[in-house]
Amino acid sequence: MRRFLLVLLICLPGVGLAEDALVFIGYGTVPKTEQSTLQRLYTGRVVSIGEQAATPINYPVGHPLRERFLAAVMGQSEEQYTGYWLVRRYVGKGAPPLELPDVDAVVSHVLATPGAVGYVPLSKVPAGGNIIFKR
Amino acid sequence: MSIKLPNVALLPILAVFALPAPAVEYTWSGFGTIGWAQSDQPYKYQRFIDDHGSLKRDSILGVQLDARLSQQWSATIQAKLAAADHSDSSLEASLAWAFVSWRPSDDWLIRVGKIRLPLMLNTENNDVGATFDFARLPQEVYSISPLTDLVGLGVSKTWVGDSMDWIVETYAGKVTTPWRYYGREWTPVSPSPGSWFLDYDIKSAGLVLTARSLDNTFRIGAHRVEVSREGTKIGRPIVNVGGVYQFGDGGDEKLIVPLATIGASVLLPANIRMIGEYAWIKLDSSSEGLDRWGAYLSLSKRIGAWTPYVYYAKTKSKDGALSKYQTINNNTLPPPYTSLNPTQKFIADIIVPYDQSTTALGTTYRLTSSSLLKAEWSQANTGVASSFVDAPSGGDSSNQRINVFSFSYNFIF
Repeated sequence: MRRFLLVLLICLPGVGLAEDALVFIGYGTVPKTEQSTLQRLYTGRVVSIGEQAATPINYPVGHPLRERFLAAVMGQSEEQYTGYWLVRRYVGKGAPPLELPDVDAVVSHVLATPGAVGYVPLSKVPAGGNIIFKR
Repeated sequence: MSIKLPNVALLPILAVFALPAPAVEYTWSGFGTIGWAQSDQPYKYQRFIDDHGSLKRDSILGVQLDARLSQQWSATIQAKLAAADHSDSSLEASLAWAFVSWRPSDDWLIRVGKIRLPLMLNTENNDVGATFDFARLPQEVYSISPLTDLVGLGVSKTWVGDSMDWIVETYAGKVTTPWRYYGREWTPVSPSPGSWFLDYDIKSAGLVLTARSLDNTFRIGAHRVEVSREGTKIGRPIVNVGGVYQFGDGGDEKLIVPLATIGASVLLPANIRMIGEYAWIKLDSSSEGLDRWGAYLSLSKRIGAWTPYVYYAKTKSKDGALSKYQTINNNTLPPPYTSLNPTQKFIADIIVPYDQSTTALGTTYRLTSSSLLKAEWSQANTGVASSFVDAPSGGDSSNQRINVFSFSYNFIF
């Protein structure tokens, strides 16, 4: 019975997410950081982590990982986040983060681009990847 | 349609956008408003609105291109198509913004080029209807500044706090901008009613403090505006010679105009947003009515896709200007000088008086995250006079009640 329950828990949607937590990866020199800094980075209020210049990467509207990121890290709805950047763009204070279509594109970009920061499921972190934040 | 050519000083900034594509990361976006406004009066209000209705008051189409050259350097241009600022009869394509940004660290932002000024809470984004709920921003306040853009330098320093960011912005620069006048009997070039536009050379500098959290924004600013006209003195006095008002000798090479702004947008309990803004300008010229204050207070509440709102706005020139307007406006010359009576109306109109309040009820309905509908009823009531009104020939703008119905579709893409 206990084995059955364990199998059930692993197979249930959502429970598996805990095993595949959202983590932030950065280019090799980006230092470890905290949630509040990432909130500021993804809202354009800071452009560095520690002393390192940092460039956030996001997913397009509607991407499941973006929805998890907004809920778990930013504490905002899609509408709040999009609305924030809408105003910020049109007061001339910058454009929202570059959006890449999928996890593979984010991983490739982060590994190759100095300062790049992105988020991926833990299971997708490449060997030797620089994890800078994990909830 | 006319095309306003950009200032030559902006050409180096435009050249940024000609850099090879691999060196630059481009993102572009666009915005627009298709807005219909109709009043219950036969005369024009806010340049275009009358009982026939007009698309020209609120409609606009714009595109913005952001180019990220590196993590510190970027450039932005914004072009728009809207009613011309130098003519009531044409559309104009113009460059609203063109600047290069340098962000050497988290807390410093330096922008050079054509920038929009941080005057009122929504001055910088007032062309983008999707960024605010009102059908149109209260003109009692938003029309007070003689300029909203300039070519120059803007520097901001931010202190990021746990719950609130503090931003100090300062700017300096200059611009040549048209100012609209309306004569109900005469214009300087014709003995018939109409508008005319004079170009003013404006230098301006200012200091603005903004405190902003996720829910609340507070802003206070002090600005200095220097106004002149090439080859002409401005601010010529209006004098009474033998019972006839006319322009006298004198005037100044330039006028120094202080402008103060303060505003707050606060989220109250029950998710009710209260916005209040106040602006004051002091201007010693023959157009004494431009020396005025304006304020509004609004309440709105988000209910699902709907955001109903109400606001009350008021603006008033100083009492001396309104009194002078009334004196000149009522100055009727006896025979055989009655043919000069239109000149007295012309002189009175030059004072550009404001004494008006507006009550507005409206709502926004969000269709999607990138488009919304707005509907508004507003009622403007004038006192002594209002220069938002193109007063009819033989009449004036005093004690008018103007109901305006506005509908608009606002979008970004």
